Amino acid sequence: MTETTPRLSDEALMARVHALPWWHSITLRPGVVTPGGKSAHIMAEEEAAIFAPLALQGRSVLDIGAWNGGFSFAAKRRGAARVLATDSYIWKHAYWRGREGLELARAELGLDVETAIVDPPALTPEIGIFDVVMFLGVFYHLYDPLDVMERLRGVTRQLLIVETHQDALDDPRPGMVFYPGDVLLGDATNWWGPNPALMLRLLQRLGFRRIHYRDHPTLGRVRGIYAAFTDEAEPSLHAGFDANWTDLTAPGAVDALLVRT
Amino acid sequence: MTGEELRRAVATHRWQHSLRLPDGIVTPGARSEAALAAEEDVLFGAFNLRGAHVLDAGAAEGHFTFAALRRGARRVLSTDHLAWTLPNAGGEAALRLAAGALGHSVETLAADPRQVTGSFHVTLAMGFYEQSANPIAALRALSAATTHLMLLETLQDALDDARPMMVAHTLDRAYGPGIEGWAPNPPLVMHMLLEMGFDRVLYRTHPEGVARGIYAALRPAADGRLLEGFAAPWINMTHPTPPA
Repeated sequence: MTETTPRLSDEALMARVHALPWWHSITLRPGVVTPGGKSAHIMAEEEAAIFAPLALQGRSVLDIGAWNGGFSFAAKRRGAARVLATDSYIWKHAYWRGREGLELARAELGLDVETAIVDPPALTPEIGIFDVVMFLGVFYHLYDPLDVMERLRGVTRQLLIVETHQDALDDPRPGMVFYPGDVLLGDATNWWGPNPALMLRLLQRLGFRRIHYRDHPTLGRVRGIYAAFTDEAEPSLHAGFDANWTDLTAPGAVDALLVRT
Repeated sequence: MTGEELRRAVATHRWQHSLRLPDGIVTPGARSEAALAAEEDVLFGAFNLRGAHVLDAGAAEGHFTFAALRRGARRVLSTDHLAWTLPNAGGEAALRLAAGALGHSVETLAADPRQVTGSFHVTLAMGFYEQSANPIAALRALSAATTHLMLLETLQDALDDARPMMVAHTLDRAYGPGIEGWAPNPPLVMHMLLEMGFDRVLYRTHPEGVARGIYAALRPAADGRLLEGFAAPWINMTHPTPPA
């Protein structure tokens, strides 16, 4: 649903923007960009990396961990028929107030993006089944990402996109590193760092057949992006995956990603 | 049941544990009596089980269930999942047969560790990492059911890595091929146990070698004197003895 609000002056809009903390840098008007912790440059690079290969026209999209909605808005702008933005921790967080930022941006952008409070460990198909599910920057924040990956499979009709912090990149064994306390980047909400061999295995275990991988566009292999297709995926959905992406199921593909130290 | 009837009944089951039953009958388990006795000594030799409520998770045909009862446990709940439920598995019926022959009354539950509930002083968590698609959830449930002491036994991997980590594995077992699971390293098990509310964690390698590890983890409610019997080669991971 699109909220209608009287058009604010640039100054009034910026005053409302600056009253909130932001993670996503979202261009609301020419020259009016939310001051996200993630820069407009990185947002643009990530958006291009994730969405360039995707034909979203007419498809439904579920965004898990939507934060301020930057990628939900991008999906809608790129033609998705329906976008449901969800979050819980950040939207309920007394300081981050992520949903207020999303709602402010949504009203200004006039995009029809739905919202729902969803905590990933409580995700069930009651929310619906979506053509494309985006799971960006969430895997490593979960104490039990294995359970949530199963839940994600249950709400994905065609394509699951996972973007995550990675670790054990020098290890050919499919594994994940645990971060007790706040040892990863001083953030006590970081729990696990998987490597590509593990992500391939987890996604295959869940029944995804075609799995494409690419490094993060600006940070490289310390973060990875996985596009995992179900048997139901329409060919038009994976036709755009080009040389920027690796078919992770091809022989030797995972070993080629090993970082030799 | 006569000795001959028991012998015939034993022959109808698959056995992982070699159990000594009356009439000189020993079940033909893949694990020998000596190996099980050595492991029992590691698990139960360091403290007194008298009066304890015990959860034996991963009980197979019950060697450690019977050992706990013999050592004075007041209640033992024996549970297993794959070894009791896969098409080639017959563990629960075999455990009940052995219990009957040994004169033990047993309480059994065929369930994934994630479904185990209750309250037990001592939990034996045997081999679940390597046979669980989700050992995080399994450990969480087993931890929640443990009030004092968890004894955890597992396949391990990444021993060359100081980072807490676990590696995905696929294993073939007598009761089923291609079982998906994980193998953790000791730093991972210690940190997961700490995050789940244990405050003292001890470790030693399995008597059969470094491929497997055994942990003793105490809840804050457990008296520290319980640890007095855990001598070398046990090491205290959370409270190492300062060098003399």
